[in-house]
Amino acid sequence: MGGVHDMGGSPAGPVDRGQHEVEDWERLADAINGTLGVKGLQTTDELRRSIESLERYRDLSYYERWVAATEKLLVEKGVLSSEEIDERVVEIERRWNGP
Amino acid sequence: MTFEPGDRVRVLPSEKPGHVRTPAYLKGKAGWIESLIGEFPNPEELAYGHSGLPERPLYRVGFRQTDLWKDYRGLAEDCLYADIYEHWLEPERGTT
Amino acid sequence: MSDHPHEETGSGRTTSPYAARIRAIEALLLEKGVLTEPEVQDSISYMEARSPANGAKLVARAWVDPDFKEILLADGKAAAKELGMEPEHPAEFEVVENTPEIHNLIVCTLCSCYPRAILGRPPDWYKSFEYRSRAVREPRALMREFGFEPPEGVEVLVHDSTADVRYMVLPMRPPGTEGMNEEELATLVTRDSLVGAGVPRTSVRIG
Repeated sequence: MGGVHDMGGSPAGPVDRGQHEVEDWERLADAINGTLGVKGLQTTDELRRSIESLERYRDLSYYERWVAATEKLLVEKGVLSSEEIDERVVEIERRWNGP
Repeated sequence: MTFEPGDRVRVLPSEKPGHVRTPAYLKGKAGWIESLIGEFPNPEELAYGHSGLPERPLYRVGFRQTDLWKDYRGLAEDCLYADIYEHWLEPERGTT
Repeated sequence: MSDHPHEETGSGRTTSPYAARIRAIEALLLEKGVLTEPEVQDSISYMEARSPANGAKLVARAWVDPDFKEILLADGKAAAKELGMEPEHPAEFEVVENTPEIHNLIVCTLCSCYPRAILGRPPDWYKSFEYRSRAVREPRALMREFGFEPPEGVEVLVHDSTADVRYMVLPMRPPGTEGMNEEELATLVTRDSLVGAGVPRTSVRIG
């Protein structure tokens, strides 16, 4: 009985061949993970393990899983805290949505 | 290395917890060693920040699709290859 | 780099809540000196420079140069380096050849392993739960959905990238392309054909 990510051979529907345009935040998710990897701060294996542990694995999109997993790892390693990320998110969204 | 190309092997049916790179659909299945890919740090350890050393042998293992899926639709010769670490393999019983 | 409101604001903004999350993470990592702006920019440029065109170049060269083809199949990284590409380290890069007897299909059931260092980002369908679930079990039905059916008697081999190897397919050169040069040949090689979900375009030249 594998994890939810361990899906080879599971029944599934037709493959959607549509391609969404990659958004800037998704490019950034790639870049942050790439840089953390290049700098030896995180391995591919750690990121995979973190993604696989996400409760919302099936509900999140591909890059949403990456962002959630990256946050989890950074918090686990004590590099950032969830609280400071939360605070910054509030600031950013306030900036984006205007007064 | 424990195995040579051509050796018949079985994937361990282990339900080891944590991060593994052996898919559930191959556990307990029998196939053959196609080739030795090389030696790499163990991903099961790397995933938790450990060194993953000593490096472990990684094999390309071949399987007949008809051995993997009761309902497989295709040719009897259709195969599947997966890259499996040595510590997940044992000799298939009943083979030399 | 840390704040681009014009991309993600607007009434009826439907972008993901994770957009703000990764921006927040980026801003904090930069402020704490964990990463620098040039490093992040380098990483973005790295990905943008990679695309299926690289794979097409490798394939077209292999089609016209038997010695290069040998290298490509024996040591994918060496072949990629020969054409000025920088294959990923430390993952291996393995190219599997389609023949009149064999058709190959690549998948990563456990996540979405793909030769990104050569081909860039994988297509959305490659990362989908549906593809990851079905490619190992019903490759022929999947390929049919993609509009491709191997000729009668051709074996289908599926490669699940479970570990440290990234795979690419070397498709067969389409018939009727004898007169084409390497550059023209490369334009026939589709991204799908490098995964095995299809085959290259056939020549559309007249005469």
